[in-house]
Amino acid sequence: MSLRISTAPHIRKGVTTQKVMLHVLIALVPCVIAGIYRFGFGAALLLAISMCTAMLAELIFQKLAKKPVTTNDLSALLTGLIVGLNLPPQAPWWLAVVGSAFAIILVKQLFGGIGDNFMNPAMAARAVLLASWPVHMTKFIAPINGNFGADVISGATQLTAINSVNSPLTLSGADLFNHFTGNIPGAIGEVSKAMIVLGLVYLLLTRVITWHIPVTMVASAALMSLILGGDPLSNIVSGGLLFGAVYMATDYTTSPMTKKGQVIFGAGCGIFVCIIRKYGAYPEGVTYAILFMNCLTPLLDKFIRPRVYGAEKKQKEAKADA
Amino acid sequence: MSSFRGGIHPMKRQHGGKRPTRDLPIREFISDSVCIPLGARQGPPSVPCVKKGDAVKVGQPIALPGPGPLGLPVHASISGKVTDVVRMAYTGDTPVMCVLIENDFHNTWIDGIYGQREFSAITPESIIPAIRDAGICGMGGASFPTHVKLSIPEGARCDIIIINGTECETFLTADDRLMRETPMRIVNGLRLVMRALSVSRGVIAIEDNKPEALKSILAASANLPGIEVKKLRTSYPQGGEKQLILTVTGREVPSGKLPVAVNAVVLNVATSAAIADAVLQGKPLIERVTTIAGCVKTPANLLLRNGTIIGDAIGECGGYAKTPGKIALGGGMTGICAPNDQVPMTISTSGIVVYDEEEAQSLDEQPCIRCGKCVGACPSGLRPYILKHYCDEGDLIGAQSEHVLDCIVCGSCSYECPAQRWLTASFKNMKDKLALAAKGGNGK
Amino acid sequence: MRKSKELGSVFLNGIITENPTFRLVLGTCPTMAITTQAMNGIGMGAAATFVLVCSNIVISLLRNFIPDKVRIPAFVVVICTFVTMVQMFMQAFVPALYDALGVFIPLIVVNCIILARAEAFASKNGVLRSAMDGLGMGIGFTLAITIIGTIRELLGNGTVFGANILGTAYEPMLLMILPTGGFLTYGILLGVMNYLTSRHDKKKLRKGGAQL
Repeated sequence: MSLRISTAPHIRKGVTTQKVMLHVLIALVPCVIAGIYRFGFGAALLLAISMCTAMLAELIFQKLAKKPVTTNDLSALLTGLIVGLNLPPQAPWWLAVVGSAFAIILVKQLFGGIGDNFMNPAMAARAVLLASWPVHMTKFIAPINGNFGADVISGATQLTAINSVNSPLTLSGADLFNHFTGNIPGAIGEVSKAMIVLGLVYLLLTRVITWHIPVTMVASAALMSLILGGDPLSNIVSGGLLFGAVYMATDYTTSPMTKKGQVIFGAGCGIFVCIIRKYGAYPEGVTYAILFMNCLTPLLDKFIRPRVYGAEKKQKEAKADA
Repeated sequence: MSSFRGGIHPMKRQHGGKRPTRDLPIREFISDSVCIPLGARQGPPSVPCVKKGDAVKVGQPIALPGPGPLGLPVHASISGKVTDVVRMAYTGDTPVMCVLIENDFHNTWIDGIYGQREFSAITPESIIPAIRDAGICGMGGASFPTHVKLSIPEGARCDIIIINGTECETFLTADDRLMRETPMRIVNGLRLVMRALSVSRGVIAIEDNKPEALKSILAASANLPGIEVKKLRTSYPQGGEKQLILTVTGREVPSGKLPVAVNAVVLNVATSAAIADAVLQGKPLIERVTTIAGCVKTPANLLLRNGTIIGDAIGECGGYAKTPGKIALGGGMTGICAPNDQVPMTISTSGIVVYDEEEAQSLDEQPCIRCGKCVGACPSGLRPYILKHYCDEGDLIGAQSEHVLDCIVCGSCSYECPAQRWLTASFKNMKDKLALAAKGGNGK
Repeated sequence: MRKSKELGSVFLNGIITENPTFRLVLGTCPTMAITTQAMNGIGMGAAATFVLVCSNIVISLLRNFIPDKVRIPAFVVVICTFVTMVQMFMQAFVPALYDALGVFIPLIVVNCIILARAEAFASKNGVLRSAMDGLGMGIGFTLAITIIGTIRELLGNGTVFGANILGTAYEPMLLMILPTGGFLTYGILLGVMNYLTSRHDKKKLRKGGAQL
């Protein structure tokens, strides 16, 4: 009889990186379905292209760099999907390819692969695409709502409207309902707020994420828009705030480790979203707000750490002795 | 309710793996032969005082205390003939001296075992020597000599005795059964310790997933002054000494100090019962309740004599249900692996858990995804993901700056880690390394 | 014969082994700022090379006369002189390039490469060697920023030296001519350069090992 000898613990929770990624992918399914329903098969094609590119980019890079291939952990697939969901439904196919490849190769793999990237790859890709091809990235179409043969009519997102008049805008009840159900022009994934909330509930129930980041981000955005003289509700339901709060700000690698740090992180994201929306040159601030807080994450982790059991009392005692 | 930070719920869906054994009464099992290790606990190994061929009775000393205050005698756990006194491989790296006894099945006890004595007949000064002479060491797992724990150093004082009935470890139900079946012994043990140290407050702490044990201990301790029963939130490692003190008293043991620094002493329920037997009946510590669980045909709680070969105990439980892949002495979170099933259990073996080949397989370590689960789980407030980095690098100073010495090796971080990283293992290694370095430093 | 070989190695040193941009990471400010077009790289490089060679020669000539305590101000005065000359020359003869490079022409004065070579090389070596070092470093700098400029212009505008390369269907990646693009290109080229160097060193090591 040969027995294994190992150090305790002998049991594991059974949650693997792959399962975590799978849970997030499942949580995104409602958004994907809503996006395809609203914007047609073109949107589906874009999502497929960006997912394939992301997987291929990871595979090829790791083969070339002679590193172990980690496409099995599904994180590249997830990054690809989020890049795709951030695209406007009529974006050219190469935008999806460039975005995904940039996210995986430049942001993720060049910094050491999964767990070592300092920015959310999908967010960084979106920022790059927005800076490089602003016309393509802000050309939104009105939803076709399952009428797959219909002609597409382009229109501006609510946020562009807000910014163009640069004044607080209050949405009517019907408008709010349309925002909630996603019957508005916008990026593929971000339009239907109801589906995003559904995904959030799934992520919370499966304990993939905790409430700290999404809730503080949305709450602080609401508060900040109130301070800046805007309408909190329309600020929350418009643009990519909810999508960013649920799927992008909560990225494990680029958000703080401690709950306290996560609250500060979420609050920072919310505040910067509103400041950028109000005073910035860009119509949407979620991307830059999250990227900015991503860069602050190492700092938050350095200064906000859990109190070590018994350690501080020792210091106090030492002071008392001296 | 004050409580420690962090904590996890291991095997939550399987009720901590306790289901198969928690409702089975304790059954006594005496094997054909025993192999009693003399050095498988903290402190100096005991010195054998019997030789091959000697006839021994139950409770007869077979080894005298080793040198120093931590020395403890060891007693024969069965009556019969000593077949050998020899060094044998055990769970650690170095072989330990063992006394092998063949059972004559007469179960003859030595003289001087008196029936239940009255409380009033016992003087406080006689209690601690009686505990030492009975060879009692901590039965919760750390196996630290109990009389040393109860010897309050000069200048310190103790105002609370906590009896640890939390049994937060997975699979184990031995303490639960003990509390349900013989609550009086546990309460008596606590009363004796309180009397010995003239402490007026004693707390028996039990997690809220053991309602029957709570009830039975409550009934046994009713109307006794100074003794309270505390129901604690079920969370691992609630039974960790430092965590338990914080939960019960709100006091935090300073880093690197013993519980007595915050005027508290913690004893396991089984230890408390053993103290009652030793002081009230004069019985040395020769047996304990051990949970046999995992991949065995009929899991059970067995009352085992010290030194029972674990293979025999598993045989008593119907043998292996599948090919075993790993056998660990202790629960799923902190158990120590046995090299084979021919090693004996000891007084500190609270459980024998068999894992099948599939469960014994460990997945490959994957890169850390910085999810922060380890930070959330750590009851000591450490940052395992950073600490692991220092430990992998062999950076002793870096590891100490991340408080590796405050790690209680509870396994929570490894349990939670989605990347299957061997966090606890590398911290334990680092702690061993540091202990060795400290020893070497003193030697120079 | 031997001397010319030695001078050659001083010259090559600046272009490859101690390339100011890729190996020493000096003068990154103009590198980032003006490399939006390949032509800018050549112009900037030429101006810097001229200043480098002239200031290296003059400082090398004066190296035994300049008191140690005031050597940096003295170097700066020498460099300033040549920068002013270049500035006026460019303003007069290539006004378009002068406008494109803008403030970065006068800023050559504080370009780290020039001051570093004055301090580290010209103040310790003979005139000929110093001139060669200045020339090598200048050409190395020119090559590096021209490469960065070419890549950024190609991706960010679809052209190289103003000539359309990628066709009209290409939609320029605006990011590349923004500062971000400069950092990205520079970073990636630095990485590639380090990778090539380490591979070269490893090969050399293996060869050396085989000979042993």
